[in-house]
Amino acid sequence: MDLELLRKTGAEVAARDDVKYLLGWKQGTYGYRVAPAFVENAAGAAELIFSPLCTANLATYLTLVEQLPVPRGEEPDTRKVALMVKGCDSRAVTQLLVEKGIERDEVVVIGCPCPGVVDPALLAEKYPETEEPAEMKWDGEDFLLIRNGEETKISRDELLAEKCRLCRYPNPVVSDEMLGEPVETWAPGEDKGVEEVEAKDVDSRLEYWMDQFDKCVRCYSCRNVCPLCYCQDCILDRLNPTWVNRSVNFSENTAFNIARAFHLAGRCIECGECERVCPANIPLGKINRKLARDVRDKYGFEPGVDPEAEPFQASYKPDDPEDFIL
Amino acid sequence: MTEKPKVGVYVCHCGINISSTVDVDAVAEFAEKLPNVKVARTYSYMCSDPGQVLIKKDIEEHGLNRIVVASCSPRMHEPTFRKAIADAGVNPYFLEMANIREQCSWVHEEIEEGTAKAKKLLTASVAKVRLLEALEQKEVDAEPAALVIGAGIAGIQSALDIADAGFQVYLVEKTPSVGGRMAQLDKTFPTLDCSACILTPKMVDAANHPNIELLTYSEVEEVKGFIGNFDVKVRKKARYVDFDKCTGCGDCAKECRVKDRFPNEFDQGLSKRSAIYLPFPQAVPAKFTIDPDNCLFLKKGKCGKNPKCQEVCGTEAIDFEQEDEFVEFRVGAIIVATGFDPFNPSRKPEYGYDDYPNVITGMEMERLVSASGPTEGKVKVFNGEEEIEPKEVALIKCVGSRDESVGNEYCSRVCCMYVAKQAHLIRDKLPDANIRIYYMDVRAFGKGFEEFYDRVRRENVRYIRGNPSEIFKRGNKLVVKVEDTLTSTPLEDEVDMVVLGVGLEPRADMRGVMELLRLSQSPDKFFLEAHPKLRPVDTATDGVFLAGCAQGPKDIPDTVAQAKGAAASAMIPLARGKVPINAQVAIVNEATCRGCAFCVSICPYSAIEMVTVNRFGNEVEVARVNEALCKGCGSCAAACLSDSIQPKSFRDSQILPQIAALGVMK
Repeated sequence: MDLELLRKTGAEVAARDDVKYLLGWKQGTYGYRVAPAFVENAAGAAELIFSPLCTANLATYLTLVEQLPVPRGEEPDTRKVALMVKGCDSRAVTQLLVEKGIERDEVVVIGCPCPGVVDPALLAEKYPETEEPAEMKWDGEDFLLIRNGEETKISRDELLAEKCRLCRYPNPVVSDEMLGEPVETWAPGEDKGVEEVEAKDVDSRLEYWMDQFDKCVRCYSCRNVCPLCYCQDCILDRLNPTWVNRSVNFSENTAFNIARAFHLAGRCIECGECERVCPANIPLGKINRKLARDVRDKYGFEPGVDPEAEPFQASYKPDDPEDFIL
Repeated sequence: MTEKPKVGVYVCHCGINISSTVDVDAVAEFAEKLPNVKVARTYSYMCSDPGQVLIKKDIEEHGLNRIVVASCSPRMHEPTFRKAIADAGVNPYFLEMANIREQCSWVHEEIEEGTAKAKKLLTASVAKVRLLEALEQKEVDAEPAALVIGAGIAGIQSALDIADAGFQVYLVEKTPSVGGRMAQLDKTFPTLDCSACILTPKMVDAANHPNIELLTYSEVEEVKGFIGNFDVKVRKKARYVDFDKCTGCGDCAKECRVKDRFPNEFDQGLSKRSAIYLPFPQAVPAKFTIDPDNCLFLKKGKCGKNPKCQEVCGTEAIDFEQEDEFVEFRVGAIIVATGFDPFNPSRKPEYGYDDYPNVITGMEMERLVSASGPTEGKVKVFNGEEEIEPKEVALIKCVGSRDESVGNEYCSRVCCMYVAKQAHLIRDKLPDANIRIYYMDVRAFGKGFEEFYDRVRRENVRYIRGNPSEIFKRGNKLVVKVEDTLTSTPLEDEVDMVVLGVGLEPRADMRGVMELLRLSQSPDKFFLEAHPKLRPVDTATDGVFLAGCAQGPKDIPDTVAQAKGAAASAMIPLARGKVPINAQVAIVNEATCRGCAFCVSICPYSAIEMVTVNRFGNEVEVARVNEALCKGCGSCAAACLSDSIQPKSFRDSQILPQIAALGVMK
């Protein structure tokens, strides 16, 4: 990725009168951290980056940003929000368009063709994080890590995030401007994670998830980071009726996790953010991908690809399969 | 809700329907101890007048404000009890029915089990009734006009009845003329009166009636709204002939460069017509139409130097510039009279319909014996070599009916009689012919049918019981291979002509109407009525009614009877001028609605729309329910991820305590 082009485009977009701010990535305060950048003017664009460390899906902020009450006598700020998206992030934007979470003319989408990002946990495990901010680049087929002025070449297979290995949309599916040439798509590998769980018998599958959900601390990070969990008032927070009790135990944790997963069936665009932010390392991606796969195989539907699509959970065809309904 | 709930519980014996497997007294005794219950009683028939009086008296004496009736399904008597408690001054929606009959006494054999379950169901109903909200029964104005789709005999009859009653009717017909299938028939069984002679006066009446706006060669494009207020958009297809100028003289068709080249639909393809045509001589309106698929000028932009039709037309009625027009209007009720398709015997290739010209369908036979038909009523067929007057004639019944192999399990109800009638007509025209009818059963159930069947048999028409397995050619004869199942004799019957008594099928293009009006199909694929016995002309969509073969195979008298029934039903909202709307509608919590519009896509009644509201100075999109359209089905509530839309009387806060009371959850 040409950083100059990125910053130049960023500066142009951020300077536009009809743009409130531009959402991009910037270097974090230490180690491998990358922080979201809210660029409000051309000068701010100088800190923008796009690297294999830019795992965060910025589309979350489109719905996460609180709509503050407008003081009397003032007009609401209806300027557009510009954001930088990878392939997966762009699917979140598309799905938000389908669900009318945003309108197309409310956003400026800057597409970043993405050769795949790293798994941050794996990276930190193999190459311990330094206090100094570190940099990373794509270097041909591989990653190039620059730590304390020292360059290390790391093979793509070693660090590539699981979601990227399975990615079929590395190039943004929706954009107003595209930064650079599209990258060549690659054959998604087998989803061993899901297949492993699928292969288990019912009892051991239950045992597997019991172990996983037992770890859940119900911090709701997975929900908060998800670009498609944007209800004003999440039913899992409600007291009347109380669908999920406050107590952190296997039963309530399971109820929470199942509700979260089902609310995302046919909507999850597999950006992997939930799993990345989970402090308990619950393999949430496996649940999401299993549901996504079933929706794709049984109903031929893939979320976040066509902005004109009927929302999966709210559409019906007379020949929809129903053989799995008990 | 300030008033404390005071619940009255009424347990019905339903004769022995309930009391034989539910100890009703024990249930009432149990109910008395439930929270907020003031009175609990049993009665032999709660729905009877004394039963209702019992409830009303208790409301007065004990100040009851919530009523639970433990009896049959709410589909039976919910309206009865709503009305009863409303008479006594209680909001009719403060009623809950515990179904202890269909869901309890009828499915249990042991009284212990039945009683235990009845107690649980009642506990759940008492838990819910306390949480119900008072709802208001609203009404909206109804437009005093009706739309009738399809102008066959059913549509014409419905339209005439409604128009005679003084209401405006829009009669929409897809083809260029009204008349439908009945216009194609020769004689009608069992009285043998001429079909056209009894139909054409009605066709003319429909065209001339001051209250009927006839829209032929038109299709309904869009229907929005609800009973009392349907907004309809109709496409009037371009005829390329000026409707007002055309005198119907027919000079154009005689001069057409592609004269008599195309199969005449009215004659089942047995004769040919020009690209500009009148479907049949008595067509109403008597206006010519250009078939755009076959007209040289419309297809290629060129027809000699000048199109001949244009040259000869004395009133300059030909207008190739004409375009489809749209008509929009509002009606209070809609009648669907779209008719049927005859079964296409190509789907039974063993009968050789596609291979042999002397294997014809019943509809083709109608045209063949008709004096106005292509042969002027002479029965002649081409046997592959020459045109002959058949000596040996076989008629086969149940072709495409009662036949699982083609997916039609139903009886088409008219074939037995029309085949008998055709045998009679052939006998009339060919006194020396040998006529036999292959049949599975003879169903002569209508008025005068059995007598007619007897008459035909006496006319030397042989009925042979057997369902032919194959028809093939031998020399210049057709061989019908069949087993006479009364004598268990295999036969190879050599004949000159075979008439296939094809059945009736749902129209191939019915899906369009289905989607327009949100109708359903019954297992036989015809339109589904609201109730097979008690609401035979109503549909699940209020204000939409069925007439004629669109609802299922019927003969002419039944079709006319149903058309009159549909007209009478459709006139109820028109005459009242008001329609009540469902009170148990869904309601949106605009504060929590996230505006995803899932409910909008899933609503089967198109009752939800997105509106922009002001949320603390910000404009946000939220869902809003059109109460006149909502049926309270709850699909929206199931789709909503944030529980922001809920049907009144079926809110989570009302249902969950009901479920909890069953003891299946905390």
